[in-house]
Amino acid sequence: MALLDVSALQVQYGRVTALSGVDLRVGEGEVVTVLGANGAGKSTLLRAILGAVPVRAGGITFDGVDLTRQPPHARIKAGVVLVPEGRRILISLSVEENLLLGAHMRTDSRAIRAEIDAIYQRFPNLGERRHMLASCLSGGEQQMLAIGRAMLAKPRLMMLDEPSLGLSPLFVSKLFDLIRELNRGGLSVLLVEQNTGKALGVAHHATVLELGRVVMAGDPKALAADPRLQEAYLGEGTPAHH
Amino acid sequence: MLSQQIINGLMLGAIYMLVAVAFTLAIGVLNFLNFSLPGLFMLGGMLAFGFLKLGWPFFLAAGGALFVAALVSLLVERLAYRRMREGDAEVPLVSSLGFLVLLENLVLIRYGSDQQAFPALFADMNVRVGGLVIGIAQMVSLAISLGLVAWLSWFLRATNAGRRIRTVAENRETALLMGINIERLVPQLFVGSALLAALAGLLFAVNYQQVSPFMGEGIGFKAVAAMIIGGMGSIWGAVIGGLLIGLAEVLSISLIGADVVNITVYGLLLVILIVRPQGLIGRPPAREKL
Repeated sequence: MALLDVSALQVQYGRVTALSGVDLRVGEGEVVTVLGANGAGKSTLLRAILGAVPVRAGGITFDGVDLTRQPPHARIKAGVVLVPEGRRILISLSVEENLLLGAHMRTDSRAIRAEIDAIYQRFPNLGERRHMLASCLSGGEQQMLAIGRAMLAKPRLMMLDEPSLGLSPLFVSKLFDLIRELNRGGLSVLLVEQNTGKALGVAHHATVLELGRVVMAGDPKALAADPRLQEAYLGEGTPAHH
Repeated sequence: MLSQQIINGLMLGAIYMLVAVAFTLAIGVLNFLNFSLPGLFMLGGMLAFGFLKLGWPFFLAAGGALFVAALVSLLVERLAYRRMREGDAEVPLVSSLGFLVLLENLVLIRYGSDQQAFPALFADMNVRVGGLVIGIAQMVSLAISLGLVAWLSWFLRATNAGRRIRTVAENRETALLMGINIERLVPQLFVGSALLAALAGLLFAVNYQQVSPFMGEGIGFKAVAAMIIGGMGSIWGAVIGGLLIGLAEVLSISLIGADVVNITVYGLLLVILIVRPQGLIGRPPAREKL
């Protein structure tokens, strides 16, 4: 049984259909990537799985539990977390307060402290600035903070929405190293990315959306070689250049 | 003589401060200029007066007044805020103003429009320090007000609930994505700000030994002025603004005369806004919230 099972999901914004019948599965310990052009419905899919946009039809099951009508806080408690597009760091909170915010539903303060210290060890730049406002961090550091904050919710599935957007090549490499590392630790990952080459490199399974529908799905290596995908999404900044 | 006036000014300022902090919570987190707060201030004083008249002991009367004010605030949330927040920000403002008028007139029907004498709790108990006369009620009230605001500031910085409130203040959408239960947090904030306003009304009644259905209006406007002087959306700004207005009011009565009080207070507001449009400790366009 898959950890996350999305079936025939429909989302509507007013009269505009954003998702029309999307199926998606993420197995325990898997990295699944969702690709597609702007406006294909990738962000909407992640937001619907989190519960931040209302679902019109279809279902979302997580670890055998139906979450379709649950509010976001219940889903995060169940183990689904989103690292949103644009990172959405709270700039009026300090670095440490941002991390603590990720753990706001937990009560095991000792474990939280240990996890925060581990994040500071892994990313010394965050540790050095723990008491400064998070707005002082660079874009790359903010992305690491956003992922650290998401980890503090103790997720089983982490959804990342365009995490490499606007990052320097160095930080893009660091980011994908981190995703691999977290996945090796047992975390399941659902990744929406513009950087198609990198995303296909890390994923066990890939799905391509077009105008709110799944148009291709399968093994990332096979998809990377598929001429249709090459044509549509592997234009610039692809592995061909690296 | 001057130091006596300063103590009196701080006392009055502490009352403005509590109401200004209540306004700050509402505008800083909910982006709602909640004009029912002066009505809840009045309920704090008038209901305590009414319950005392029924023969209730003071602490029961005080607790009852705070409890009713909190319930009324939940009603304001349901009827004025929740139903209308989809529209323009001005709509809940006007409907909360409607609540103020409604509360004033309901109390007027029950107790009449005259000013009533609130019983003295600590009959003429004073502490004399040097040449100063400090009433026990004054001291207790000042300690409660400052202690409460200091606690609130700690609560917002150091607890999970406080961080949740500051997150909603910065960005509601992000708060939703972080799993903050906004539907539950908003009514809690309404109760919190109502308790601050009603407690201020109660302390006003105890200290000045007078209540009336319209006691909230003047105080409410000065509290809004205090919030703006301090810097919108900052709790410590509301504290400084409140104390400053209290001092300005008392000192201008004793040095110039009672007729010029409003000229002094609102003149101060105008001057500060011309010199520092963001308020005394506000930062230009709202960075650090609360």
